[in-house]
Parts: sequence; C-alpha cells; structure tokens
Amino acid sequence: MDLDLDVKLAIYHHFAETARRPSPEEIAGRVQVDVPAVLDAYQRLRAQRVLVLEEGGASIRMAPPFSGVPTQHVAEVAGKRYFANCAWDVFGVVAALQEPGTVHSRCEQTGEPLRLAVSLGGPEPSDWLFHCAVPAAHWWDDIVFT
Amino acid sequence: MLFFRSEEKVQEWCRAQGIPVRPLVRLEQLWGLATAWYATRLQPDSRRPQPAEIREIFARLGLEGDFWDPQADRFGQG
Repeated sequence: MDLDLDVKLAIYHHFAETARRPSPEEIAGRVQVDVPAVLDAYQRLRAQRVLVLEEGGASIRMAPPFSGVPTQHVAEVAGKRYFANCAWDVFGVVAALQEPGTVHSRCEQTGEPLRLAVSLGGPEPSDWLFHCAVPAAHWWDDIVFT
Repeated sequence: MLFFRSEEKVQEWCRAQGIPVRPLVRLEQLWGLATAWYATRLQPDSRRPQPAEIREIFARLGLEGDFWDPQADRFGQG
C-alpha cells in the first residue's frame, strides 16, 4: 500500500475507534513514518477531496462522514458519540461503521430535536425531510458551507 | 445539508435565508445516499463516486434534474 492510502486508513480507523480526530503525531505512530511525511500526505488527500483541513494544514476539520469538530449532527453507535459534518453524513457514520445506531440532530427552522434509530437497513419510519441548499455541481466550492 | 420537520419548515427557513427551496429528500432516500457514499469508507479499496456513478446513484434513488447533476452549469450558489 502507498503512504497516502496508509494515512487515509489510519485517519478513518482512528475516528472509528475513538470518535475524535487524530493528531498528526497519532497518525505518524500508526503508520510508522515521521510527522512531516504525514502532513505532506494530508495535503495530497486534501487535494483529492478526501480531507478538509483546518488553517495551517495540521488539523483535520472533516474526514467525511466524520467531523473533527463538534456539530449538531451526532451518531451514537456502540456507546460512542460521533460528530458528523451534516445531515447526510450523520447517516453516513452509521453506514461507515456498519453498526446500528441512534442519530441526533434538529430541525434547522424550529430547533425541534430529532432522535432517530438507524439500523443497517435504514432509519425507522419518519416524515422528517432532508434539504440541501447548494446544487450538486457546487458542493465542493465551499464544502464547509455545503 | 440539514434536517427539517416538514416541508412547511423548509419553506420558512428558505424564505428567512433568502434562498430558493431545493428538491426535498425523504429519509429513506438519504439513507441510500449515505450507504452509496460511505458504506465502504473504512475499507482499503474505498473511493469517492465519480460523476457518472453519482448520476446513477441519484437516478436510482429518484433524485433527477439539474440540481442533482454533479457537472451541471445551470445553477449558481443561490
């Protein structure tokens, strides 16, 4: 496997195991390379739209579906609480972990809480809706806004 | 990419934000999107869908039209 793939997998497995973003030092330890090599890989993965980095390039803002920062979208799976980037990604956490969970979010207009059981067959019946303000062709123009 | 309790609440939110109401997605459709994008994300051979695959995924889920076209140039950020 190449370094970028090793780093990508190390990032995703860190999120899955700990429900928080890894530091470059933690990834360096997992992959057995030095920190500058990890940071170079971060830049290549950012260019491939695998990662969204914080300013400075050393901290992971998004490794979709996982969020490196707290958000209103939380997937509770196997006793851990994972932050997701958006409504799509909070379902994506359950799909990625391949374990049933409970999704917590809210109605953006009223603040009414959403609590939804999600199995590997999908969410429990619900008439809530998903809305995306940005057309698909422009999602990556500003992925944090999207 | 947000959740709403009802179509009425989407309309209220869009009016307040000054943006158009976009196509609404049911949660079972959203689950289809989530699994298509992320079900293999922790595996070594995982990769992001390419535009032709994205169109197929959207069409399979009943999400069609320029809004869902990953390469459409007819929409602004509006």
